[in-house]
Amino acid sequence: MLKSNLDMGNEAYTERAVASASIAELNDVSKLFGTVQAVSDMNLRIAQGEFLSFLGPSGCGKTTALRMLAGFETPTTGKVLIDGRDVSTLEPYKRPVNMVFQSYALFPHLTVGRNIAYGLKQRRPKIDSKSIDDKVTHALETVRLSGFENRRIWEMSGGQQQRVALARAIVNEPKLLLLDEPLAALDRKLRKEMQIELQDLQRDLGITFVLVTHDQEEALSLSDRICVMRAGRIVQTGTPQDLYDQPNSRYVADFVGTSNFFDGLVNQINGSTGSISLRGGRIYKSHLSGAISVGNDACLSVRPEQIRLHLSGTPETLEGKVLNRIFLGEHTEYLISQESLGNITVLAPRQSDEGLSNLGTGDTVYMDWSADAALILPKD
Amino acid sequence: MTQRLRNWLLVAPAAAWLIVMLVLPLSVVFVFSFGERAPSGGYVPAFTFEQYANLPARFTAFKNTLILAPLGTIMALLIAYPLAYQLAVRTSQRWKTLLLVLVIVPFWTSILIRSYAWIFLLGGGGIPALLASLGIEDVRLIYTPFAVLVGIVYGYLPLMVFPIYVSLERLDKRLLEASADLGAHPATTFLTVTLPMSISGIATGCMLVFILLMGEFLIPALLGGGKVFFVGNALVDLFLQSRNWAFGSAVAMMLIIIMLVTVTLYMRLISRLNVQRDDAQLM
Repeated sequence: MLKSNLDMGNEAYTERAVASASIAELNDVSKLFGTVQAVSDMNLRIAQGEFLSFLGPSGCGKTTALRMLAGFETPTTGKVLIDGRDVSTLEPYKRPVNMVFQSYALFPHLTVGRNIAYGLKQRRPKIDSKSIDDKVTHALETVRLSGFENRRIWEMSGGQQQRVALARAIVNEPKLLLLDEPLAALDRKLRKEMQIELQDLQRDLGITFVLVTHDQEEALSLSDRICVMRAGRIVQTGTPQDLYDQPNSRYVADFVGTSNFFDGLVNQINGSTGSISLRGGRIYKSHLSGAISVGNDACLSVRPEQIRLHLSGTPETLEGKVLNRIFLGEHTEYLISQESLGNITVLAPRQSDEGLSNLGTGDTVYMDWSADAALILPKD
Repeated sequence: MTQRLRNWLLVAPAAAWLIVMLVLPLSVVFVFSFGERAPSGGYVPAFTFEQYANLPARFTAFKNTLILAPLGTIMALLIAYPLAYQLAVRTSQRWKTLLLVLVIVPFWTSILIRSYAWIFLLGGGGIPALLASLGIEDVRLIYTPFAVLVGIVYGYLPLMVFPIYVSLERLDKRLLEASADLGAHPATTFLTVTLPMSISGIATGCMLVFILLMGEFLIPALLGGGKVFFVGNALVDLFLQSRNWAFGSAVAMMLIIIMLVTVTLYMRLISRLNVQRDDAQLM
């Protein structure tokens, strides 16, 4: 039954992830630092072999959640399970997990090879040195640093140090690989490269990866599932596409991708659709997402690329004036001022007709979107 | 040219200081060590190795110094390391400053006065009296090598604590987390990460304390009571009491030679241990 779902795309994937054996769980986990609530009532099941990301701004509790998995913090209440075992208060050195630190935390007094061998040397019963050497060589091959065994850490570039840190963790074949903003210190180009390598590595090794990041692009491109966090709580968990297409709140819609938000009042709900009356009197029918009831303040979320531009208006279109245009190659981004809704961002594909491609600052333009392309979200 | 001139000007005060305060006196001592004692005390020019041949007469002073100075250094290290570790790694920022100040506070009082306090503590009315009330009679502490050891460890402890504290404070605590994360028991983490990364602090502290202990005379004079004396005490005696400047100079030269040899050997050892650390610090 699970197998039959495999080919059904992202929604099927989510089901599979939850249905298959979970390698780690957070059950009602809260963490207090003094009086500061870093994590509140967090519930999460991490599936065997998935690539999961904690996404959120700094201070949202994502790093604390990761550190509770690693064992550097113990939950104030709740349980942390790894491989079915309650590890809530187990010391870090007894856990079958490894972490790639944001600053890499490589041992400066050891060579690259001895850094990587460090975890293997802690194993009991002891592993013979021949096997350790083999594993180190193999790990270095995996991260494309063959032959660097005897280098010193400070002789390595940032990207190379990043790879050593990865090799040092994966050589132990952990049940969970924890990555704390591992790419934050790299420049943009290198970061892209490492993202691809990380993804390949995860696929090849079949190890469960848990990544902490504040970079939505990174989370979207790497993860099977993303857990969006805010003020110590999980706001929404889902595949990147779920989060992009079906955000359950304005926060998620804003954090995952960009969107235009128009405030209004919900005046009718009909199953999964409803209508919202916006400032200026217009009423839009659209899909609902998140907890909303009639009479609530809510907002209509429309992605910039979903808005169509027209040179002439109909009663259904919104009239606006172009404030600014930024040419982005394949797309052009317009900032359009609308009398009652304020400023609207529109991402228009190239081409269209010649009139649109010649739109300039001050020109009048008309906008609309299909009902399917917008979402009514709770205002938060 | 002006750059050169400026360099000279910058170096000049230090150079003048070194020449007047170190090179000249040392030269005098060197010359005196080949001379003879004047009948009424002082120095008569001569060229003789008699003073050096006489050195075995002060064997006990050298023996005491060469046993108690290294022993005191090691004791100070053993006590200072856990203290520095506690301060640098385990104490919260709020308490750190206060506790560090407490380490320095004794320096606000003269070592002379603090050593007198130890005379009382180790003397008949102090710890021995306390032990006697517990039934342990006739314990003699004052004027023993033990008393001198207690005194020097007490006096020089802060000099050992600070360099070690600095090296541990500078240690990236995430390395300790990384070690634990890789499965290392806390004891292993200490031996494989913390200790190697604080070698430079240990080396500096030991050097500082050892060199100063080799020249110590006040603490042995007070707590050793003339029974446990250092080379420093012999020098005070020779120069100020018996006014045998020539022999005193020979003893001083011998001490300098011993120091040069031990410190050179020590530096060699440390630099070998430290090759990796020095390079790492270039980062």
